[in-house]
Amino acid sequence: MTDDLLELDDVTVSRGAGPVISHVTLTVRPGEVLALVGPNGAGKTSLIESISGVTANSGGTIRLGGEPIDRLSRVARARRGIVHIEQGRAVFPSLTVRENLSLTARTPAEIDAALAHFPELEKRIDSPAALLSGGEQQMVVLARAFAAKPRFLLIDEMSLGLAPVVFTRLFPIVGTLAESGVGVLLVEQFTGLALGLAREAIVVASGQVTFQGDAAQLRDQPQLLHRAYLGG
Amino acid sequence: MIEGALAGLAAGGLYAVLGVCLTLMARLVRVVNFAQAATGMFGGFCAVWLVTTAGLPIWLGSVIGILIGGLLAALIGWIAATWLSEASLTTRSAMTVGPLLLLISLSFILFGNKPQPFTPIIAGPAFRIGGVVISQVTLWTVGMALVVAVGVHFLLTKTRIGTQLRALSERPTTAELLGIRSRPLAISVWFVTGLISAIVIIIVAPSQSNDATSLSMLIVPAAAAALLGGFRRLDLAVVGGLVLGMLSGLVAQIDEVALIRNFLPFLFIVVLLLWTQRKEVWDAAR
Amino acid sequence: MPLADRSWFRFTWPFAVAVVGIAVGYALSEGLSGYFVFLAVSAVTAAIAILGLGIITGSAGMIALCQLTFAAIGAWIVAGLSYIDAPGGFAVWLVLGGIGAGVVGILVGLPALRLRGVNLAVVTLGFAAAADVTLVQIQFPGSADGTAVHRPELFSSDRGYFFFSVIVLALCGLAVFFLQRGRWGTSWKAVAFSERGTASAGQSVPGAKLTAFAISAALGGISGGLIAGQVQLPFASSFTPLQSLALYVLAVMSGAYLIDMAIFGGILWVLVPELLKQWGIKLDWGFVIFGALGVQALTSGTNLGQGIRNLFYRRADKRRAAQAQAAGDAGGPASPSPELSPAGARISTTTVATLDPVADANAPVLVVDGLSVEFGALKALDDVSFEVPAGTIMGLIGPNGAGKSTFVDAISGFLPRHGGRVLLDGADLAGMSPTRRARQGLRRTYQQDRVPPSLTVEAYVRFVARRRLDRNEIEHTLAFFGCPPARSRLSSVDVGTRRLVEVAANVLAKPRLLILDEPAAGLSHEEHLALAVRLRDLPARFGISLVIIEHDLDLVRSVCPRLTVLDFGRVLASGPQTDVLEDPAVIRAYMGETELLQ
Repeated sequence: MTDDLLELDDVTVSRGAGPVISHVTLTVRPGEVLALVGPNGAGKTSLIESISGVTANSGGTIRLGGEPIDRLSRVARARRGIVHIEQGRAVFPSLTVRENLSLTARTPAEIDAALAHFPELEKRIDSPAALLSGGEQQMVVLARAFAAKPRFLLIDEMSLGLAPVVFTRLFPIVGTLAESGVGVLLVEQFTGLALGLAREAIVVASGQVTFQGDAAQLRDQPQLLHRAYLGG
Repeated sequence: MIEGALAGLAAGGLYAVLGVCLTLMARLVRVVNFAQAATGMFGGFCAVWLVTTAGLPIWLGSVIGILIGGLLAALIGWIAATWLSEASLTTRSAMTVGPLLLLISLSFILFGNKPQPFTPIIAGPAFRIGGVVISQVTLWTVGMALVVAVGVHFLLTKTRIGTQLRALSERPTTAELLGIRSRPLAISVWFVTGLISAIVIIIVAPSQSNDATSLSMLIVPAAAAALLGGFRRLDLAVVGGLVLGMLSGLVAQIDEVALIRNFLPFLFIVVLLLWTQRKEVWDAAR
Repeated sequence: MPLADRSWFRFTWPFAVAVVGIAVGYALSEGLSGYFVFLAVSAVTAAIAILGLGIITGSAGMIALCQLTFAAIGAWIVAGLSYIDAPGGFAVWLVLGGIGAGVVGILVGLPALRLRGVNLAVVTLGFAAAADVTLVQIQFPGSADGTAVHRPELFSSDRGYFFFSVIVLALCGLAVFFLQRGRWGTSWKAVAFSERGTASAGQSVPGAKLTAFAISAALGGISGGLIAGQVQLPFASSFTPLQSLALYVLAVMSGAYLIDMAIFGGILWVLVPELLKQWGIKLDWGFVIFGALGVQALTSGTNLGQGIRNLFYRRADKRRAAQAQAAGDAGGPASPSPELSPAGARISTTTVATLDPVADANAPVLVVDGLSVEFGALKALDDVSFEVPAGTIMGLIGPNGAGKSTFVDAISGFLPRHGGRVLLDGADLAGMSPTRRARQGLRRTYQQDRVPPSLTVEAYVRFVARRRLDRNEIEHTLAFFGCPPARSRLSSVDVGTRRLVEVAANVLAKPRLLILDEPAAGLSHEEHLALAVRLRDLPARFGISLVIIEHDLDLVRSVCPRLTVLDFGRVLASGPQTDVLEDPAVIRAYMGETELLQ
């Protein structure tokens, strides 16, 4: 059913001097995780930004449920269920945890449901988000995304700047979200865990797709991954 | 001396209200609106025309004038939101200088160069302190300043829209990615502050020089008031406006400082601002 | 070499243009009717004032809304000197008027050292408003008894005075041209783009800002002095804040930092009201038009002058690319010249940098002793200590958030309140501003793009190097790093290459120590490797010691014989590369990247 798909068709994103990432074709299905990996500067963030509307794509088409959304504003795309979790813990620093959550969770019941996955946040619920640790802030971001009831979740480098202990605590939440029917596009620099969770994987290097296929295959053949990282 | 200070309180209330509007705009929609007073001026002049030429009752003419002031501000806000949504505060603010010029000149064309015959809506004395009369206008302007500041604080901290506005002002992109409708919210802020400026100018205009230029240039002391709070703090904007008004009134009576008396209020604000910013040597972003 | 590159040509063509301009002015002064001559003087005075705005707003990026107040100061001084019949004549009075306005400009600019953007704009507007009220009260010297300002003897007729004003305009234009092309002009554009980048290049930020204010105010003062001579009985109504605002809008709209556009702006200033008068339209529409055009200019983000220039630039770029194609190059950023790379050297992903025992025995160029930085309750750096022997390369690595950027900021002077000591060649850097540390020989590059795109490669390089460089040295070093040629505009170069130019420029400064903050970010893999080859060579070729912050462990392994690892603000390990990379604590910290360490 195309109703539920997020499709990119030969998408290119440019910035000033030239294309940052070109000719990307992929499909995100509800309930599945698609891992997008590759070295720094490969264009992964630009691709995510073109899906959520932060940047415009310069070529190709982006379709949601069969309909092109290239001309829609970020706000419109967000209201259609595309939730973009930005790099670097995008909490609103002067708003408390509760206020941060209230932006997507309309009722106290919804706030509680979102917090259910993060009991550590209970005692910090009236703290301004700026005073939270990196890991706690990322939890707020994830809880906020939960409450937004997304159809598709675009996650950009969730692990950046987090201690491994924290990151391994948070990562399974992504799996839980996927299981509840959300389609997840996961951008990660650390490939191990990402490939473990994903069904399909895309490797991007220097603005080009160098591998697109089964995530398990990529995980089991590190030289394939290595070559894909260096290629292009 | 005291009389001078208290006489300046009416102007102080005016500066405080406009200063609060400017601070609000700076915080919520990332702009210092140089046309803040000009839109109110134009709305006020329309009101006068409606009353004196079209023969409408004062209350109706005033209401329509206030609405026109708000709509003009909303129009400028629409321009900023559509074409300058990603631009810096500086660029957005510089853009508002255009409408400032435009509105002053347009008012000369439509309403002529002479001061307008404003009928006072509020007039007369309110009460006496010692030997000084506090006018009703003073009471209204100072009262408005306090009510607006407190009301806005309540709105921002206790309501859903307030939370959305604060989120929008801190991280506009992230807020939009959460589905918060940035444009309608931003234009509403422009509209509301436009209404408030129009109201306070219509109240005060009858009792001071009310040609287009003088009214529009009220932006200068208003900005000085907002500057005290660094365009962030509402309470300091109120204090700044009142102090500025009283200082100007006080200084007007001292002959010794004749030459520099015009500079004193402005110097006071600058010195205070520099003192509060003394630790911030490096601009964080650049 | 094309004509445009020969140094005698570059020096003399502005003078030729000025002479032609003066000749045209003379012709106009004879040919125009009396009425238009008067208007023409107004156009010239407006052009000079806009020229000043072009410096403060167009180049230095500060909003100043009081230009006509500076003009009023100049007019006041000229009128005063004329009233008391001071010796020297009009020309001397004009210069004094400019100097006086310049001094006031410095005073008004002092708040600019701490206030930025709109805050500064408000201060200048407040100054203009207060000055206006004062001026209305005290009026100009001689206005009370109607004493006219004496014009210069040789140019006392209206036509003669117009010719005189054209000469003044030509001289001002020349002065601005050479200033903009020299160090001051580069410092203005740099400070407009990034204050930190400017300080790290050894340029004093207050100096750059105050010179911008001084020059632009002086130009305003000269403009006002000319007005005093033109109308001979100046009044405050010619110098109101509202007109300063209109002038500002006009300057922004036309692109006043370009000299020709400043002149165009001056013409517009009189032309628009004149046209309206001819067509019987009310003069007030003039400001309406300015207002609307100003909104248009500011919303589109460009201005008339830049728009026209961009058309020319695009055609020139296309022509140059076509020529390069024909010559066999690939076009775009040049690949590093093969003959400049160490013979036969090729870095693969398995190359490992080796320690040099001779170099390691050198005295340390950098000693970090107990460096600690706290942001409130957060300890960003905790008792960091290590040494870098002179002439060696030290890699600084660690997971994200480990404190590497904080470290560079602290060492380069942007975090003055830190604990511990930093010694450069044995000298304690305590209390030194970033500008001073840069001048002492500690240079750094940035992870963010802090290279002003409004400059050419050559202007930027000379600015950062802060020493006399001949063309060959510049071209040689640029080619070594694979940077575009010196004449290229930085705006046409992509971000990754701009940061290479930043590295090359800092190398040319011949610092004692150069800290590179992620120099390879934004480069492709080949470019990574090519940069690695260059970096390995720097101590031997240029006598520079390096500290390199990097994520790319391949590059680190091949370039840095010594490593220091930071994690959560603490030093996990510091020493020879192999020891550090085998340290179990380091491996644990990098858990997510273990696959890359193998």
